[in-house]
Formats: sequence, structure tokens, C-alpha cells
Amino acid sequence: MVELEDNKEVRRAMLSAIREHLAASMPFDAVHDEHHAEHKANPRISSAVADEQSASPTERFRNALEAVAGHCLMVNDERAAADLVLEILGKINARRIAVSDSLLVKRVMSHVKLDAEILVDASKSELFDCDAGITSAQWGAAETGTLVLEADAERHRLASLVPPVHIALIEADKIRQTLGEVLESLSEQGRDRLSRTVTFITGPSRTSDIELTLAIGVHGPGELFVIIIEGRDK
Amino acid sequence: MDHQTTETFDQNAREALTDEQLRAALRNLVTTFGERRKVAITTVDDWEGLRERARAIKDETLTHLDKYLEEFADNAERAGARVHWARDAREACAIVLKLLRERACEHIVKSKSMATEEIHLNAALEAEGLAPVETDLGEWIIQLAHETPSHIVVPAIHKSKKQIAELFAEKVGIEPTDDVAVLTSTARRVLRQCFAEADAGISGVNFGVAETGTFLILENEGNARLTTSMPKIHIAVMGIEKIIPRLVDLDVFLKLLPRSGTGQRLTSYQSLITGVKKSVDDEGPEEVHIVLMDNGRSRMLSHPVTRQSLACIRCGACLNACPVYQQIGGHAYGSVYPGPIGAVITPQLAGIKKAAQLPYASSLCGACREVCPVKIDIPELLLHLRAEIAEGTTVGTADQKGPVKRKLSEQMAFRLYAFLWSHPSLYNLGTRVARLMQRTVMRNGHIGRVSGFVSKLAPPLGAWTASRDMRAVAPRSFREKWRDGLSGRR
Repeated sequence: MVELEDNKEVRRAMLSAIREHLAASMPFDAVHDEHHAEHKANPRISSAVADEQSASPTERFRNALEAVAGHCLMVNDERAAADLVLEILGKINARRIAVSDSLLVKRVMSHVKLDAEILVDASKSELFDCDAGITSAQWGAAETGTLVLEADAERHRLASLVPPVHIALIEADKIRQTLGEVLESLSEQGRDRLSRTVTFITGPSRTSDIELTLAIGVHGPGELFVIIIEGRDK
Repeated sequence: MDHQTTETFDQNAREALTDEQLRAALRNLVTTFGERRKVAITTVDDWEGLRERARAIKDETLTHLDKYLEEFADNAERAGARVHWARDAREACAIVLKLLRERACEHIVKSKSMATEEIHLNAALEAEGLAPVETDLGEWIIQLAHETPSHIVVPAIHKSKKQIAELFAEKVGIEPTDDVAVLTSTARRVLRQCFAEADAGISGVNFGVAETGTFLILENEGNARLTTSMPKIHIAVMGIEKIIPRLVDLDVFLKLLPRSGTGQRLTSYQSLITGVKKSVDDEGPEEVHIVLMDNGRSRMLSHPVTRQSLACIRCGACLNACPVYQQIGGHAYGSVYPGPIGAVITPQLAGIKKAAQLPYASSLCGACREVCPVKIDIPELLLHLRAEIAEGTTVGTADQKGPVKRKLSEQMAFRLYAFLWSHPSLYNLGTRVARLMQRTVMRNGHIGRVSGFVSKLAPPLGAWTASRDMRAVAPRSFREKWRDGLSGRR
């Protein structure tokens, strides 16, 4: 086994190598910049395509999600969401369900009357045996149909990942137009309040590794249902 | 394919050209990813502006890399990650091995990472009796087949589903099938067992955010999420060039990378990991380690032309667009990174003398430059490296410096060429002599075996006519026509 040098020493050596090489580059930089003045054009920030922006965030979210083989359902209130959850669980004949500890999930599940095992804090081995996972999401990005899961808000890292079906609940007012807006919100939290893991989810798990043929559900869920709760009758 | 090295590039390429199945796979790649990319880039308003913005962010980061790297490392450590510094592949592998040994880890899962391919981490771990399991479908296929990736995004692109079915039948005992869904679910079933048992997960990194110490992994399958969520320890291996300054900068790169690579608006999953979990009850690993690796990168900072190599986000678009890659695939390059970006990175990482063939594996057509989401001028880099090969490099270790030896006949030919072309009277005399001499061997304005009957010219011209014909000298030169008036008497 190789004897390792002190980490701090290596850090110092690597940083000084970087500084030396950058310093060596300076005379070349001056010449190069002159030759490549067009590269220095003012950078502009791109915005999303205009015709899509006219759609409401929830409509846009649904279109984007359905384009990547996700299911998107819209309901007016939590009771209607519960009916949909029951319907989906019935259709897949779910016997064992992993749920996260979010309040929204708890409220919706309180209306779901189902003869199945519901695990709030499933162990790893139990998770591998679950037929569905139910979580909420902290944000949505309409542009791409993306769910944003903040791990500090909810224990949904594995429930959204391990079972073959993921049902995600999201309140309509959590959906922003773009991922850029979500990133800004995350950034405003500051580095200490940022969740230790943030997961962006866009559609079901997929692969094209065999002859570029699309296959759904390779390691993550093969089916993703997003239920958007409009909350108009709340 | 183990015999293929960069030194044998010419031979590798010739062999690849006769492999019909490989070429069919490459045609599929070029059409599918090429078309998807074209459509995908129309879904943003200002693709050019986005590329420029990305390049400006990368340039800013790279010219202050020491500052941003320290900021990243300090913030990651504040959040509870352990940061390890590795000057080269040997140190990086040793750090990973030590971490695994100290914790007595036996079951190791890996998600796809070109950085770990670059340092041959699997071989280093296997030499010490450990057996890391690749969990990305493509990577798992080539691990089972004891091969190397032939593309940086779709590693098993060179294999047909029939070959994969036979491989699965042999290694995991399924009935051979040509149903891709069955093959995929086989991978899910077998690898789930590995995830359930795993006590360590090893991943790469796509981006490291300096202001928060966050690192990001992009994927489609979910295996990277499993690798970074299930085991007790997560080790992320990351090149020092992956840094970007701010969290909001991700917006730019998340628009560019999937569109350029696979033609998606966004890949299925992005994991943004900042340090280690806050309380023992939280989900996720107990330890998060980041291995920051130089391995030949910092010396690319020493010139603005070579520095662009570090802006690369490993999307693979230049491979798909390259007329050379399209014909010969990735293995012929004999290096971890193939295609145009491989042809410029490999000589810089491995030393120019070890990969002196690769900068010539290009027609300088510029297709790679056109598609590159961060506007790397790869042809400029190729020419820069060719100049270093001819004149010797100024950076690198002692054995990497000095010109690469070329054939004497080639050297003489170029000296003669330079001499003639810089003396007008000799040039004119030369063309007149050539015109007289070519009369016997020329046909339809060409000399060579395709249009003519000459099978071989004397060296060094023989090297040219071995694979294509040479244009004969025109009966009247442009200067002669000009002198006689362009509308001419004849």
C-alpha cells in the first residue's frame, strides 16, 4: 500500500502548483486575448422559450412531465388527492407502501382507507419489498416538469427512489416557472441552511445504454405519478 | 481489446473500420443523439448566449482556480464532508483504498465516473482483493465483459443487444433474449442485491459549487442516487476542474449538459450533496469523502489554449459529431477519453510522447467546436499540441519535454517543401519539372491507384497515395492564366 503524505501538505502543494501554472500563463494570456477578442463578447443569460411561458405553471409542469413519460394529475383538494392515491395503489395492487414523514403526506394518507401495510420509516430491507413510495416535494420547476426534494424538510430520499412506483404530492403554489428560480431560492437559504441533499427528479428512471433503446425503470421507479393539489377549495 | 493503446492508433483504426457491427452501432449513435441534440437546443431561446455564458463562468473559475478550489473545500468541510487532496492517480487510488480498508468495507458499489476510469480505480482496488461493482447499466455490461468504455456517456455503445444477452446468459444465467426491457430488468434485479449489501459507494462528480461546498451528480438511471444514499460511506472522486463559483451558475450548465449529451432537456435525476447528514436519524451516509484530484490538470492552466481543455463538462457531443470517431469508435483511441476531446486531453494527461498519434486523429473540420456547449476550440488545441509534438513542450515532467521524433523522410520532405515554397523562382521551376514528370503517371488529373495505374509513389509521397490519390499539377498555373488575362486566349 502506498504511504500517503499529510493531507494538508498535499493541499498546499496542489494549490501552489495551480498558482505557478496560472502565473506561467500570464504572458500568453495577453497575446491570446488580443487574437480572440470575439470570445470576450458580453455573456447573456438565456431565458426559456417564449410561447411556453404563457402557460400557467401547473399546465406547463404537466406538459413537460408527460413529455418524459411521467403521469401528472391535478386535483382541487387533499381529499381528492387521497382518492387518486387509493386508485393508483389499487391499480398496482400495492400490498406494502413506504411513506415519508411529511405533514402533507400524513394528511392525505389519513383519508386513504386501504388494506395494505403502510410503513412510515421503512428500513432498507423493507424498502426493497415495497410496492410504492409516497412523498411530497418542496418545489417544482414547470419548465422541465421537475420535482425538487429537500432532505432536511422530509425523509423522502429512499421512499422516492427504491420502490417501483413513486407517488409525489405537491401544492400548486410550490411550482415555479423555471429551475433557475428554484436554484435562486435554494441559494437564498444560504450555505448553512441548504439541505444536505437536494434531489431533482424529472420523470421515471430511464436508460438508453443498450443500443440506445429507451428502457424505463432501470434502478429507480419505473412509474412516477405527480399529484398537483390546487387547493382552491381549501 | 486490451492490446489497443494510443501507440497503435493507426492499426486500431484500420481494424475498427472492418468491424461492421461497430460501425452500425456508431451510425445509430450519430443519428439518434445527433438528431435529438438538434431538436433539444431549439428549446432554449438563446443557445449561443448560453454557451458564451458557460464559457465565461468556466474561464473565470479556471483563471482563479486556487481561490475557488479552496472555497469549495472549506465549505464542504464546514458541512461535514472530508476533503482529500490527490496530486496524481496513484495518490487518489491510495486514498480511496485506505478509506475502505480502515472501515473494513467489503461490498462496494460504484456509479459511472470517468475520473475513476482515468485513474483505473477498479484495477487498483481489485489488486488489493476488493471487488467494486459498477451499477450504471452500460458500465456494468462492460465490467462483466472485462472491457473499457468506448463512449463517455454511453460506455457500451459498441455492443449489440445480442452480445449483451449472451453476456448476461453466461454471467448471470438468464435465458438469451433480444428484449431490451428484460435485459434492463435483469440488471435491476441483480444489482439491487448489491445495493442492499453495499457498505461503501463510490461516485464521480459533475460540478462542485464553491460558494456552498455542494457537489452534483447527474444521471438517468437512479443508480447514482442509490450509490450515494444507501451505503454508510460515500466517496466522491472529482477532478479539480469541476468547480463553478455559485449555485445559480448551475442553471446554465443544467441547460447545456443534458441537451448536448443525450438531447434531453434534463436528465432524470440530479443529486446536490452538501456535506454529511446533520443528525444520525437523517437518511444518507454517515461519512462523505471528496477526493480532489489533479493528475495532470494543473499544468493545463499554464497556457490559455491548453487551459480550455479544463472547461470540458464531459457531455460527449464532440464524439457524436466527429467524422473520425463516427468511423472508428472509442476503443481505437486506446485511451480512457476518446474522440476529439480525448485527442486533446489524453496527450496532456498522459504526456505528449505517449499519445503523439492522437492530435493527428482529426481532419480539423471543426464539427467538435461547433457543438461544444462550452465553446472549446478543439481544432486550435489540436494544432497547439501538434506544434508541441514538432517543437517540444515547455511544460510537464522531464521525460515529456522535447520534440517527438518524426520519421527522417517526413522531416526532410517538410524542409524541402518549406524551402521551395519560400523561393519563387525555385517554386516555378519545380512546378514546371513536376508537370513534365507527371505526364506518364497521371490520369484524369490525378496520380495514384484509384484513378491512375501507379500503385506506389516514392516516399514521402507514397504515404499520401497509400490511401488516396494525389491531385496532379494543373496544366497552367493560376499565375500563368492571370498573366494571359483571366478570360484568356485559351
